[in-house]
Amino acid sequence: MASAAAVTLRRVVLVSAALRLALVVFGEWQDAHLEVRYTDVDYLVFSDAAASVAAGGSPFARATYRYSPILAFLLLPNSLLHAAWGKLLFSAADLLVGLFIDTILELRGIPEKMRMWSVIAWLFNPFTFTIGTRGNCEPIVCAVMLWILICLMKGRVLQAAFWYGLIVHFRIYPIIYAIPFVIVLGKGYAGPVGRPTLTMWRSKQQLQNDKVSQKEDPTSFLATVWGFLSNSISRNVILFGLLSGSMFFAWAGVFFYLYGWDFLNEALLYHLTRTDPRHNFSIYFYHIYLHHQQGFSSIQRLASFLPQLVVQLALILRFSRDLPFCMFLQTVAFVAFNKVMTAQYFVWFFCLLPLILPWSSMKLKWKGLACMVVWMGSQLHWLMWAYLLELKGRNVFVQLWVAGLMFLAANTFVMLMVMKHHKYIPLFLSPVKSGNKVATKKEE
Amino acid sequence: MAAGGGRCLLAVALAAAWISGSAAAASSSAEQAGGSHKSIKCMPCSRPYIGDAYLHDTMTGQLAQRRDLVEMSDSGELCKGLADDVEVPVLSKLRRQLVGEGSHRRLVYSMDFGACEGAMINFLDGYDAHLVIFEKLPDGVFADPFELQHFVERKVFVDVAVFGDTNLELPTALSNRSSVEIHFDLRLIISTNCSLVIDMPLHARYPPLDASGYATVEFGNPDLLLRYRKKEIHSDSCLWVTKNLKAAPLEKATWRIPCGDEAHIGFVSSITFLSALVCSMSIVLAALIF
Repeated sequence: MASAAAVTLRRVVLVSAALRLALVVFGEWQDAHLEVRYTDVDYLVFSDAAASVAAGGSPFARATYRYSPILAFLLLPNSLLHAAWGKLLFSAADLLVGLFIDTILELRGIPEKMRMWSVIAWLFNPFTFTIGTRGNCEPIVCAVMLWILICLMKGRVLQAAFWYGLIVHFRIYPIIYAIPFVIVLGKGYAGPVGRPTLTMWRSKQQLQNDKVSQKEDPTSFLATVWGFLSNSISRNVILFGLLSGSMFFAWAGVFFYLYGWDFLNEALLYHLTRTDPRHNFSIYFYHIYLHHQQGFSSIQRLASFLPQLVVQLALILRFSRDLPFCMFLQTVAFVAFNKVMTAQYFVWFFCLLPLILPWSSMKLKWKGLACMVVWMGSQLHWLMWAYLLELKGRNVFVQLWVAGLMFLAANTFVMLMVMKHHKYIPLFLSPVKSGNKVATKKEE
Repeated sequence: MAAGGGRCLLAVALAAAWISGSAAAASSSAEQAGGSHKSIKCMPCSRPYIGDAYLHDTMTGQLAQRRDLVEMSDSGELCKGLADDVEVPVLSKLRRQLVGEGSHRRLVYSMDFGACEGAMINFLDGYDAHLVIFEKLPDGVFADPFELQHFVERKVFVDVAVFGDTNLELPTALSNRSSVEIHFDLRLIISTNCSLVIDMPLHARYPPLDASGYATVEFGNPDLLLRYRKKEIHSDSCLWVTKNLKAAPLEKATWRIPCGDEAHIGFVSSITFLSALVCSMSIVLAALIF
C-alpha cells in the first residue's frame, strides 16, 4: 500500500510539475508576442533588482523593490542563465508545499486517500498554480512556513527557529505566529527523549466512540494566560526565541551594512507604515484616500490597528495549541483586517487550509460550497466595481468601498463557519497527559 | 504653420523667458509648447536625450531650462555647416488623441510626412533620422518607464526616457510632474507610405478630492523634433542635428478622472471603523463560544 501511495503522489507531483512548466513556457511566449503580459509586474521588479545586484549595485536601485535582498540574490540566475529561472524556482517551491502538506498529514496519521485530496486541493488550485508561474514569490514563504511546522512536529526546535527568523526577515507577516509558537514550545512540548508526541487523526466513527477526545475543549482565556505565564519559560522557548531573534537581527544587520537606510526603509519600515490610497480589497482604502491630503490622527491610527490586535490575541489565547488551525485563522484575520489587501496574500492561508480540513465536520455539500460561493462571490462583486472604476473611469468609490465591507463580512462568515465545524485537537500531547486512552505517535 | 511676424514675436518672447531662467508653468493648460526658441540645434551623440536639456525642479514640479547646455548646444560653432543644404522631411499632418477609458489610456499620435517617394528616401539614405516626441505630462498623469522600455525591447521605439517624478504609486497631491521622450526610427515609415502612428501608454494618479467627483486634466502641446546625423560618423565629431518640426496647434486632449469627495469623509470613516469593530467582536465571540 505504501508503494502504491508513493506512486500516486509521485504522479500527482509530476503532472503538477508538467503543468507549471507548460505555463512558464506559455508565459514567456505571451510576454514576447502579446500586448498583455502573463508575468506579474512584481517579477519584473525582482528581476531588475537581481540584475542590479549582478552588476555590483544595490537591489534597491530598482524602484518599488520592497523585499529582502535575499530574493534578488536568489534570482541572480535570471541575469546569468535565463529570465524564467525565478518562475521555475517559485513553481518548485509551490510543488514543495504540496509535498510538505502530505508529510504533515502523514505525521498525524491521515489516510492516504484523504492526504491525496488535500495535496490535490493545493497543487491543482488555479490560484496557486498561476501565482508561481506568473513570478510571484509567495510560494517560497508558504514552503518555509510548512517546513517550520514539520520541524516543530519532529522536535527540531533549532532548525525551526533558524527558518522562522529567516522568514520573518523575508516577509514580516509570519511574526503573527510568534506567540503561538512560544505557547506550544512551553513546558508541555516534548517528552523525556525531547521529541514531541503528536495527536493523531481519528475518523468520525472513532471520535463518536471515544468520549475522552470529545471532551477536549479549547483552552479558556484565563487558563491560557496562566498557562502562558507559568509554562512559557522552558529550554525550548528560550532556544527558539534566541535563535530566531538572532537570525532576524543578523540578516537585518548584514543588509543594513551592505545597503544602508535604503534596505531598512524599503524592505522593513515601508511594510509597517504602508498606507496606500489606491483601491484594494481592504475596507480602509477609501478612508485612506479621503485622508491622504490631510494625514491621520493618532486616534485614527490606533482605531485601525485595534480590531486586528484584538482578533489576533483572541485567536491565539483560544486556539494556539491546535497550531495549524490557529495559524490558519490568524492568517485569514490578518489579511482581512489589514490596511492593504491584495490577492497574492490569499495564498498565505490557502497553504494552511489543507492542514485543517481533515478535522472539519463541514461537508462540501452544502456548507463548504456556501463558504466558497460567499467568499468568491463577494470577491467577484468587488472586482466588478473595481473594473468600473479603473477601466471604465466611473466614479464608484462608495460602491467599491461597500463591496470591500461585504468582503470583510464574507471573510468573517467563513472564519465563523470554520470555527464552528472544526474539531479542536491540540497538535502536541502534553507528556503529563499521555494516558492509556490517548493515541500515541505511530512509529515510522 | 505660424505666420512670419508671429514667429518673430514668439522668438523674442521665448528668448526673454530663457534669459530670466524660469519656465512659465502655472497650469498644464496654459503651458506653451517647447523651450527651444531656435528651430535647429545640435547635441553631441553622448547626450542621448533632448530632455537632458530640461532640469526638473522637484521642489516646485516646474520645468526650468539648464542654461549651460542650451547655450552649448546652440553654439553656432557646433552646428556650423551641418544643417546647410539638407532637405529634411516635412510634417504634413499631425493629430493627437487621447484614446481609451478609465485610468489607463494612450496618447496616440498620427503623423504624415510629405514627399515620401523621393526626398524622404534620399534623406534616409544619407542620414540616421529619428522622430522625437517630447510630451510634458500634466499633473495627475504618469508614464511607467518599465512599460515604455518594453516597447524598446520589442523594437517599436528606438529609445524612451521618462524625466521627473517616476513614482508610480503616489496620488497627485503628493507627486510631481514628469515628461516622456520617445525616439522613433524614421526608416520604419518607408513601408507605410510615410505615415506613422505612435502610442504612448499613460496612467492616471489618484486626483485630489473634489465635490464634483471628477478631476479634469488637460494636455499641453508636445515638442516634435527631427533628430538626424550623417551615416558615416567619426566618434569624436558625432553630432545630432535637432530640428523642430512645425505643426499646427493640436486639438485639446482632456482626461476626466474620478476622484473622492470630501463630503464622504464622515460616514466612510465611521462606518469603516464600525464594521471592523463588529466583525472583530463577532470573531472574538465565536472564539469564546465554539
